[in-house]
Amino acid sequence: MNADESTGKHLVHELLGPGPLAEQVTEGCNGEWYVRVSGTEFLPLVTAFASRECALIGLFCTERFSPGAPFSLLYVFEKKGVLLVIVLDTAQSAPSIARLLPSACWPERECRDGFGIAFEGLFDERRLLLHETYPDDYYSLKKSVANVPPLMKPSVDPSEEYPFRSVQGDGVYQIPVGPVHAGIIEPGHFRFSVIGEKIFNLEVRMFYKHRGIEKLAERRLPEDVVRIAESVSGDESVVNTVAFCIAAEKIAGTHVPERAWALRTIFMELERIGSHLGDQAGMLVDVAFPLGASQFAVIREEVFRINALLTGSRFLRGMVVPGGISRDIRTEDLEALAQFVRQVRKRYRTGLKIVLSTASVIDRFSPTGVVRRSILRPLNITGPTSRASGGNGDVRVDHPYGIYSRHPPSVRTLHDGDVLSRFTVRASEILDSLDLIERLLTTLPEGTVKEAYDAKDGYTLSLVESARGQNLCWVWIRDGVVERYKVRTASYCNWLAIEHAVQGEIVPDFPLINKSLNLSYAGTDL
Amino acid sequence: MVNVLSCLLKRKVTADVTVRDEEIEALGREIRREVDAVFGGSLAIRELDTGSDNSAEIEINNLTNPYYDIERFGITFAASPRHADVLLVTGAVTHNMVAAAKKTYDAMPTPKFVVAVGDDACNGGIFAGSYAVLGGAEKIFPVDLKIMGNPPAPKEILAGLLALMRQAGRGR
Repeated sequence: MNADESTGKHLVHELLGPGPLAEQVTEGCNGEWYVRVSGTEFLPLVTAFASRECALIGLFCTERFSPGAPFSLLYVFEKKGVLLVIVLDTAQSAPSIARLLPSACWPERECRDGFGIAFEGLFDERRLLLHETYPDDYYSLKKSVANVPPLMKPSVDPSEEYPFRSVQGDGVYQIPVGPVHAGIIEPGHFRFSVIGEKIFNLEVRMFYKHRGIEKLAERRLPEDVVRIAESVSGDESVVNTVAFCIAAEKIAGTHVPERAWALRTIFMELERIGSHLGDQAGMLVDVAFPLGASQFAVIREEVFRINALLTGSRFLRGMVVPGGISRDIRTEDLEALAQFVRQVRKRYRTGLKIVLSTASVIDRFSPTGVVRRSILRPLNITGPTSRASGGNGDVRVDHPYGIYSRHPPSVRTLHDGDVLSRFTVRASEILDSLDLIERLLTTLPEGTVKEAYDAKDGYTLSLVESARGQNLCWVWIRDGVVERYKVRTASYCNWLAIEHAVQGEIVPDFPLINKSLNLSYAGTDL
Repeated sequence: MVNVLSCLLKRKVTADVTVRDEEIEALGREIRREVDAVFGGSLAIRELDTGSDNSAEIEINNLTNPYYDIERFGITFAASPRHADVLLVTGAVTHNMVAAAKKTYDAMPTPKFVVAVGDDACNGGIFAGSYAVLGGAEKIFPVDLKIMGNPPAPKEILAGLLALMRQAGRGR
């Protein structure tokens, strides 16, 4: 978030308009802006933001943040690389803005489950995080609620079961799928309403894996939260930890050495390559083309093995810590990586040619599962999914962190929004990531890889580009320990894209569309 | 940007996938022997995620990539618990998954075996004590074998399955 400060301030003033609000704006430690608004200012302001094409990229609650107010709701808006956080203090209720900005719907339900905040006019009042077996009037994220399992309901009355949207009509039938799926997949429930073979409506129910990540981080030293950040989503271990560390480092004013940033960036790009290869192999399995899938699965296994060689962990865990990385990488291992990158590029291109010269694959990929561009901003759809549908956002370019300002990736945009576009965008990104790793290896600076980190109190927002898109985290450190750790991964927003992408498609294409969106259940459910 | 059209219009491309990991081959031969001796030629696994961070799923999925390709050794992944000998459990058991997890276990025919994969499934890992989880898999059903790790590598999962089969063979 190193956007030019005066440009940023100018844009913020322009958004807030003339008046007292613009005077009260303060800058956060990571280039984001904060403004506290009153109950009467809130709705007109948000309505104006919605009409001015601002995206609501985060909404969360925190306690005792403002003097005299029990709760504060933080609304994070993004426009043209500027991040503006609206702070609305409240005793227990707030107006719902989900009709204006649909990306508020899940977060409002989440704040209700976690803190008991009532959102007036919320059109979907069903439970989100805490399913029906949790006791009534139990709000897990409140500070007054201890982090111990509550007394769960032994059984749930049918009248209290989760009401799925009911679709009725001639020939409409429902297919319930999950939470336990047929493959080796994470749990979630899909409720299809189908006419013949065609999907008329899909409703997704998530949060089966809700593990209480955010509360787990509270009252812990920032160094100890690293292990929790790594567990948000296994295949985003590095990038979520980097997001947390950036926040902690910005608050404390820690200067991360250049060599550490170069190595962190190599890890983040290796993670992206591994994730994209997994999707591509999975998509090819789902269209019954194992020859192509094997090409990518083999390379992916080799990425895991090179990860283990470099760091001792196939998921690159235990490396990123506040202040840099936990230890340097041996020169011979870096040479092995350079050699791997060189030989793998050629093989990857061959794999791509095998796949893309196969008509039956293209036939299944296109024009399947279209994500329309018009839903991108309202739902805050990001990452390759967005870029395959005409979006051009990438956190590495819009809010560069670490050394991305010096190594900005090319933003690969396609416009069809179908499975083929998502496959192709990922293919280009894999080749770009290989190039970037190679470039970083040849220009790797010497020096230390860790600066001493002394936790300081404060709060800030941090955005990173994971393989799946924009991950957001907000960290508040008080008395040297974490007071609030809010994580919102790209999957949390992108999950809603699938409900749109499958409409009118046939049920057998659902697994393919799902795979092409590559959604993390763990990263959503927390 | 990768050009799809030019690939599609050019000559059809194909290539071999040649991989071999001698350590896996040796482990596989032992597994094959135990599968034949104890499980009558095939061992069917049903994977159950009760709240993992998805890394254990990724490693279990990796068992099917050409480096491991464990169907060669007689181990298959079943789509339904009704076809399974072994329940491979990942993740701490969340409150939101308890009912579905129990139903999955109950749907398996006996004799059945439960293997916990990864620290979270073994004892709750870092999530032990969290408001949202019960703990490790043994909180809801008996666990026959624990494979520790964050997550365990595919090779370690295979070694664990081999140990399970030897344990089951001794019990006969």
